[in-house]
Amino acid sequence: MIEPTPLQVTLETVRFWAIVALLGLGVFFTLVSTIGVLRLPDIYARAHTASQTDTLGAGFALAGVALAFGWQHAAVYTVLLLFFVFITNPTAAHAIARSAAETGVEPILAEEGEPDDSTAETEGETR
Amino acid sequence: MAVERLLVPLSDTVTVRQTVGYAVQSGLERADSLECHLVVALPYDDDVPESARQHEDADDLLSRARNWVEEDAGEADVTIETATLGTDEYLFGPRDYAEIFDAYAAENDLDRVVLDPEYEPGVTARILQPLERELDRIGLAYDEAPVERSTRRGRLTGSEDFDRLFATFMISYGFYLVLGDPTYWFDLVTGAAVAGIVAISLARVTFSVPLDRVQSPIRVVRFALYIPYLLWEIVKANIAVSAVILRPSMPIEPTLTQVDSRVRSGLPLTALANSITLTPGTLTVRATDQRLLVHTLIPAAREDLFDGGLERGIRFVFYGRESAAIPSPRERDDAEIVGGDEL
Repeated sequence: MIEPTPLQVTLETVRFWAIVALLGLGVFFTLVSTIGVLRLPDIYARAHTASQTDTLGAGFALAGVALAFGWQHAAVYTVLLLFFVFITNPTAAHAIARSAAETGVEPILAEEGEPDDSTAETEGETR
Repeated sequence: MAVERLLVPLSDTVTVRQTVGYAVQSGLERADSLECHLVVALPYDDDVPESARQHEDADDLLSRARNWVEEDAGEADVTIETATLGTDEYLFGPRDYAEIFDAYAAENDLDRVVLDPEYEPGVTARILQPLERELDRIGLAYDEAPVERSTRRGRLTGSEDFDRLFATFMISYGFYLVLGDPTYWFDLVTGAAVAGIVAISLARVTFSVPLDRVQSPIRVVRFALYIPYLLWEIVKANIAVSAVILRPSMPIEPTLTQVDSRVRSGLPLTALANSITLTPGTLTVRATDQRLLVHTLIPAAREDLFDGGLERGIRFVFYGRESAAIPSPRERDDAEIVGGDEL
């Protein structure tokens, strides 16, 4: 068996930590998104943050997976996977928001001009 | 005095004029006076992005058809009623159409339906045969207008259709080979067969707008250039939204905004609305024609939306570099904050 050269060892280490970092970022954004879903006041606001999981959460995680696979066929699948997630995610978010609007869910809106805390006042009327 | 009551469903086809003519003529042959109900059935609910235009088209078609009936009727005793059906429910398949026609016929005590052989009410394919089957099932009498159609056949074999077939075939074949093994003969053969079936059955659905041999590939390239920009915007917005969510005080400022975008309905508008939704902090709630109702979570996201970066990107993809340099929605007064009752 051929001994790996020092450069190869370094590259492997870099790759390993890059994978760890990417997966860590993916987990971080998924966590933030979960916190957001729990903290935000209404369905519209929650739909914003739910899309974070799919964009950066899944994005970083899949980037990590692609790096772990290395330069082979399976890496192409992860790119395709990400592509389809990027198409379906906004479609689903829009469907949720629109059906909420259609069933007459009132959005919780801040007063115009001044920033508001979680005690946002409700504006608008029931349809 | 005998009155013949007819239901004529209209759609914008090459044979619609002849159908109306036949309806009037056959109606007057059977009775001395005719009550002609011209209806347009709209395919989906009235909230699709193109709905306002569809309604205009429907009204336009109805008024044209009314003129035709008057023209053909001459001195005869003809009453004309027009209606738009399906505005308050979803119409998807032939069965829905048959049922809605039956309900209308029962309501107005109509005897017979005169069908346009090319009847194509906005759904993806012609539905005449299944529609006739459903009408048989329901027991509503119908009559297919004998029309001459020469123009239609020419259209089917045009180079437009070849382009669509070819593009759909290449896309599905390429996708199949990416998933399979492009060097293995079995995958090459089955892929060609599958791509052929897909192209023949779905080419007209995939590309609703005719392709341009020069422009369409350029658009694909421009779209590839747009993706990194979109990713960068997504990363920026993600960080901004994350920072807001993680702060204990959570300084969110949810607003509903209305933006009149300057992109064509269909694919460009879908791409824009999806890009807006994909960016955290902005969420497209509704799209009516070019008017997007966007929910924004934080002021920074709203400012970005009003600055119209994504809109310029989409215009760059579909119309080229010159068209991308347009004033932002804020500058051209197309963006405003609206209250919750706009939903």
